[in-house]
Amino acid sequence: MRTILVVDDEFGLVDVLVAFLEAEGYRVVTGANGRRGLERLTEQKPDLVISDFMMPLMDGAQMATQMRADPEHRDIPIIMMSAAPESAVRKRFEGYQAFLRKPFPMPALLDQVREILGEQPAASRPK
Amino acid sequence: MSSAGSDLGLHRVPTAVEGLDRVLLGGLLRGGVYIVEGAPGAGKTVLANQICFNHVARHGCAVFVTLLAESHARMLQHLQPMEFYNESAIPDGLYYISGFTTLESEGLKGVIDLLRREIKAHHASLLVLDGFATTEESAGSKREFKKFVHEIQTHAAVSDCTVLVLTNGSAGEISPEYTMVDGVIEINDTQFAPRTARTLRVRKFRGSGFLPGDHALRISAKGIEIFPRIEAAFATPSVRDVFHLQRQSTGVEGVDALLHGGLMARTTNGLYGPTGAGKTTFGLQFVSRSSAAEPGVFFGFFESPDRLCARASTLGIDLAGMQARGEVEIIWCPQGEHILDELGHKMIDAVRRRGARRLFIDGYGGLVESAVHPERITRFVSVLGNEIRALGATTVVSIESRNIIGASMELPSQGLSSLLEGLIVMRYTEVDGEVRRLLSITKIRDSSFDPFLHEFKIAERGIEVTGRFSGVEAVLSGSARVPKAVPAGEGPQESGKRE
Repeated sequence: MRTILVVDDEFGLVDVLVAFLEAEGYRVVTGANGRRGLERLTEQKPDLVISDFMMPLMDGAQMATQMRADPEHRDIPIIMMSAAPESAVRKRFEGYQAFLRKPFPMPALLDQVREILGEQPAASRPK
Repeated sequence: MSSAGSDLGLHRVPTAVEGLDRVLLGGLLRGGVYIVEGAPGAGKTVLANQICFNHVARHGCAVFVTLLAESHARMLQHLQPMEFYNESAIPDGLYYISGFTTLESEGLKGVIDLLRREIKAHHASLLVLDGFATTEESAGSKREFKKFVHEIQTHAAVSDCTVLVLTNGSAGEISPEYTMVDGVIEINDTQFAPRTARTLRVRKFRGSGFLPGDHALRISAKGIEIFPRIEAAFATPSVRDVFHLQRQSTGVEGVDALLHGGLMARTTNGLYGPTGAGKTTFGLQFVSRSSAAEPGVFFGFFESPDRLCARASTLGIDLAGMQARGEVEIIWCPQGEHILDELGHKMIDAVRRRGARRLFIDGYGGLVESAVHPERITRFVSVLGNEIRALGATTVVSIESRNIIGASMELPSQGLSSLLEGLIVMRYTEVDGEVRRLLSITKIRDSSFDPFLHEFKIAERGIEVTGRFSGVEAVLSGSARVPKAVPAGEGPQESGKRE
């Protein structure tokens, strides 16, 4: 079972993301800010990180930059999400695999997750 | 005397929200903590965001912290259509974070640490905490909550960061934290029959005066606009009112003659009469005497600028040309649900902007219809008149009489006549089946005038006073009659007796 780390300070959105991802068969772990996200990376060794950009204590760009500098975590793919425009995120960090501008429809996130993890899209999966 | 690094002066942080800095006499005070309260939907979040975006536009940095409030993404989606919204401000100038998880896991102390850290990390000079009620619910006791508020104040002061705390609340409720914060601003949304009126009121503002009472508020694509209550904003005229014993032409030669030269300059005058009597025509002739040196303003509710120009043209007045040359400004507010104070500010701004010497308001009824509190209309007109007079303009306001014809002459608001320095009355009267127009001067302060009734016509070039109305009696009844001739040698007839 693949593990996804969701890092976001907005608890309501985190709960929704966890519910959707778990329903798709993923194991989900969470962190409320970038610093906690780095701790969870070491503890949980996720296959994918979905991270918010603006967070207290340590934002998503700072966390992702430290990830890329760490040999143990540098290859973990990242989906960055934010209420801010992508151009603002790219000014701080460019090494993500996908960006989603909040609010986004959940199917769009799931499609990105499957594509990055090399899984079949939902429509083409055997029923 | 000040020690190194300290400045005892209180520095202002302008909100740059139209009208609000006027209410606050310059803006918030730097390092202060202000509660913004109001029912859900009142406009707190829009106001706080607008202040943030404006702050960033003036090279400040702001942090917006939400607790149990709408998601940041949704909030920004709702703000995007508003003129103040500037995407490029996010995140370097304006940073959004949620503090709820911190509150849940670390309590109020954790929130204080979060606020302190984020103010420092983002060099924030403005911080918004949205969802104050959530922190109160998390406090173990009232004392703990007061400590929390005190700590916010301390951090705000030492970091020179102004803090806005948004909370649900309603007028009349006094919570303990109100005694601790530096200011309380209340936004209300009240129903008046089919109308809704939004207002803002400053309940407390330490370290500064403020304009008291309720001030109208509008939420639109511009964001929040505040229209300071005219009676508060101009309680003392903004410039010294200098009395000039000068005359100003009405634009109607015959009326100038009755006034012994014209209206007294820098006065407020009423033009009272029934519908169709010629009030608007009088107004057009009044502003037709405007010039580049003495501009005029025509402020109306009923006719569009195009219609007025067309009408003026039939009178030989090139109003369109005067408008194009800047000699006259026409402001049209089609009658509807206006904000009374906005109307007042529009008039004052136009007079001030143009340096206008003439203002015609067509008419008083439009102002009355706009008032959700009709009982304030005479105070409003009084203060408005004082300011416009002090700015150097002579005002004529048309007032429609309810009765089209008849003896009754009742001004629509009690006390209005005492506010007017001049009153010109137009009437209809019927003589032998013909409806004729009469004009009289009822009042001109500090001046003599012709007190007799005069007939007038609306001719090709406008109002023409044709002469004193004589030879009839009971004119003011609306139905004049020619008195029966008294044969020589006989005494006066008994009243009412007819042959």
